[in-house]
Amino acid sequence: MARPADLDLVAHLPSHPRYLQFVRALAGEGASVAGFSDDERSRIELAVVEGFTNVIRHAYHDAHDRPVEVRVQVTGDRLRVVLDDHGTFVDPSRIASRPLEEVRPGGLGVHLMKTTMDVVDYRRNEHGGTTLTLEKRRDGGEGAQR
Amino acid sequence: MNVTVEALQKGVLLVVEGQVDMHTSPELRAKLRESLERKANPIVADLTKVGFIDSSGLATLIEALQAVGRYGGRLRLCGLQPAVRNLFKLSNLISIFDIRETREDATK
Repeated sequence: MARPADLDLVAHLPSHPRYLQFVRALAGEGASVAGFSDDERSRIELAVVEGFTNVIRHAYHDAHDRPVEVRVQVTGDRLRVVLDDHGTFVDPSRIASRPLEEVRPGGLGVHLMKTTMDVVDYRRNEHGGTTLTLEKRRDGGEGAQR
Repeated sequence: MNVTVEALQKGVLLVVEGQVDMHTSPELRAKLRESLERKANPIVADLTKVGFIDSSGLATLIEALQAVGRYGGRLRLCGLQPAVRNLFKLSNLISIFDIRETREDATK
């Protein structure tokens, strides 16, 4: 039987950028409970904020009143953050990072998620929207494996 | 987030406080635009009291850097906290921006 989570926070939020600070706090709490360092916690907060921003921008095309479920789970030294939306399915290849040597605004969100998290996984969910799963294990190395 | 604008003997100083993200970056962009329209030089952004910037905040600063360059001006940043400095490194922007340790150095 799977081990029960040490922390399981679920928030149902509107797709409004005003909740980014709250989303950051949720991610930071998960990272602290999982025992990440201050530096890692900051990077995890950033990755999750980028994920929520992408939901607003790409899944909901900047509509600010649509539902987003944010789930933060900690099991041992593993942190998992799941963002579920009911919007347009986000094809990860469509929001791929720009080459870093091209200095221009935008196109960094996915890069910032992938350089921090072990797993950055986009899947179509039962609502036709996107489930974005971000996972990181303490001392699990740098960057996404998939 | 809060942005205070102070005139310098030469140029302008923007003191930014709080979290710069998709929600708050339009306010920073608006304050930067006022200085850019006046062709202020240099524009100094003091980020000492900014604990968090995301890619929307970075995009705002990149836009300003490009705009200031169009009239031959300079944008300088100072007071970067470790998490913010780390973001600039991760984004390969640390050498693109003129980053100073202190406000005194940036406003010289």
